[in-house]
Amino acid sequence: MKALEVQQVTKRFGGLVAVNEVSLEVNQGEIFSIIGPNGAGKTTFFNLLTGIYAPDGGRIRLFGKDVTGFSPDRIAKEGVGRTFQNIRLFGAMTVLENILVGMHIHIHVPYFHALFRTPLARREERRAKEEAERLLDYVGLLHRKDELAKNLPYGEQRKVEIARALALKPRLLLLDEPAAGMNPKETEELQRFIGKLREELGITIVLIEHDMRLVMRISDRIAVLEYGAKIAEGTPEEVRKNPRVIEAYLGKGAAGGAA
Amino acid sequence: MTGLALLLSLAHLGLAFWAPGALSNLFGLVALGAAAFLGLSPQARILSLALLTLAFTLGLWRSGNTLGLIGLVGILVALTTLPRIPNWIRALLGLAILLVSVPLAGFANTFVFELGIQIGIYAAMALGLNVVVGMAGLLDLGYAAFFAVGAYTWAIFGSPQAQNFMQGNFPLPGEYMYLFMGIAIVTTAITGLLIGLPAVRLRGDYLAIVTLGLGEVVRILANNLDHPINITNGPQGITPVGRPPIDWFRHLMASLGIPLDQTTDYQLFFYLLVLLMIGLVVLVNLNLANSRFGRAWTAIREDEVAARSMGIPLLPTKLLAFMTGAAFSGAMGVIYAAQRTFVSPESFTLLASITILAMVILGGMGSIPGAILGAAALSFLNLDVLKTFSEFVRTSLPQIPSQVDPAKYERLVLGIILVLMMIYRPTGLIPEKRHRAEMEEEA
Repeated sequence: MKALEVQQVTKRFGGLVAVNEVSLEVNQGEIFSIIGPNGAGKTTFFNLLTGIYAPDGGRIRLFGKDVTGFSPDRIAKEGVGRTFQNIRLFGAMTVLENILVGMHIHIHVPYFHALFRTPLARREERRAKEEAERLLDYVGLLHRKDELAKNLPYGEQRKVEIARALALKPRLLLLDEPAAGMNPKETEELQRFIGKLREELGITIVLIEHDMRLVMRISDRIAVLEYGAKIAEGTPEEVRKNPRVIEAYLGKGAAGGAA
Repeated sequence: MTGLALLLSLAHLGLAFWAPGALSNLFGLVALGAAAFLGLSPQARILSLALLTLAFTLGLWRSGNTLGLIGLVGILVALTTLPRIPNWIRALLGLAILLVSVPLAGFANTFVFELGIQIGIYAAMALGLNVVVGMAGLLDLGYAAFFAVGAYTWAIFGSPQAQNFMQGNFPLPGEYMYLFMGIAIVTTAITGLLIGLPAVRLRGDYLAIVTLGLGEVVRILANNLDHPINITNGPQGITPVGRPPIDWFRHLMASLGIPLDQTTDYQLFFYLLVLLMIGLVVLVNLNLANSRFGRAWTAIREDEVAARSMGIPLLPTKLLAFMTGAAFSGAMGVIYAAQRTFVSPESFTLLASITILAMVILGGMGSIPGAILGAAALSFLNLDVLKTFSEFVRTSLPQIPSQVDPAKYERLVLGIILVLMMIYRPTGLIPEKRHRAEMEEEA
């Protein structure tokens, strides 16, 4: 069973075809990168995977289950966590609360128990808080737990966002440009962290990234999008040598020289 | 500093004893300002607050001047907001004010009870609306509709009105009021669901307009449902609405050594009932705010897309906020109907919805003490301050034409207050912690 199977998915905005019959498969436990020039439709593709947009054509299967047209919250319940290109934390909530929101579907307190804060509600809340704290400790941000998310520096906000996605206990984690705005040292740290996630938690990871060093080092396989269509797919080595990819990034005529 | 504040407090105590009235109470408000804003040690501050509580109580008891009640509300605000006061002192002084000072003042001037009950009913509703607007960020301009549904739920069955359309022995005995508080919670929650289903699919301004429209629909239904079957008795309203028998309460009070007469017994009873309800509502509000539901509401308010990606379903979560907020005002509607013994569509206009919303905004969106303070401030303004001022103008300056009677400019004053607040204190009088932190950071 594949973690993710996408078959000829298409999304149009008016006359613009943002994603054009893209098909790809991601194996379980794989780190899979999607690259491409700006405006290639990478983020739109993510939004299709997470149900923010419904595809105009094609099918999406998660761990064998057809989830085409599911709403974002149902996709999340299928075990898909994600981060956003422009960080979307709940700024007015504390770091810990952000994580607790991520745990929403795993906190089982019926409404009337919450209303009267019954022993069951207290127990669940305490358990959830402990778990959230463990998760924050795991990403090294436990000391920040009571600060408002918006007051954290950029790099830490990125980490909180990943931690929030992890709180969902995802089987598939989608990271939209996790290294954006990071310096080389931070990027290296991120690389180790993503590797750790796969090793220790067994999560399948799909990421969109512009930092080629990171992409080439970390990915098992890479897909390249241009103008909404997939133009190449393969191991980092294959993609690096693919003339179509070089053309897409460097323009016509560059292929010969770079190879 | 310390000496000055204590001196002022003591002076007010003296004034309240020798010359109670509006002037001594004004002086007391100055002393309260000094105690709250001068840099005092915690001990001195507690001492002055306690002295002032005593003084305002004494003044109210001896003169019945309602400015003293503003002073007591001010002390309650100081107790909830000032730092470094031990919690047991906050609780002790707060309970003393609510359970001793206000009832004492009420015996001297029953209007104090009336004010207290009104403030309490509106505070509970502001807390309900706070769930919808403050936590979930859903702008609801038709909130009075739920209040109406609650009030009519009991008014119809607690008066002979129900005989017009069904068989049975109506009015139901007064004891049923307690049961109907529960029933009203259900009926208003269902109304919330019905209004919410189409409304919460919309965002921001659109939601506000649709709730405004649907809120008006409820009022107009109440106005017109006297044909073909007379359910609501139309614009004449329903009266008399039954009250629960309170012999047990009279006996209880008598055994505590508090004699009650015909005018004060029900007033004190409803005042205490409203206090109890507010206690419950605050508790439930706090519980929800710290549960997965409260967090989901705040998350939706902050960022819908991110919230959905965390597995929070949009429509059910928003509907739940809507229904929860509605249910709060349902129970208060029943108390309102019983306390007034009269219900008519006029009480549930758009203006009522806007007033409740203004209370939430004035107090600070999402803030629990803020919602209560907002309710107190606007109820005071509408029921007491402007009317007293009008009377003062009318008696001392009779040559002023009645068109400029201050009581007629209630909305103007409210508008000016809101505009000033948006300029100088945009997060409200007692901002919610999150909002406060946000504003401090921007400053």
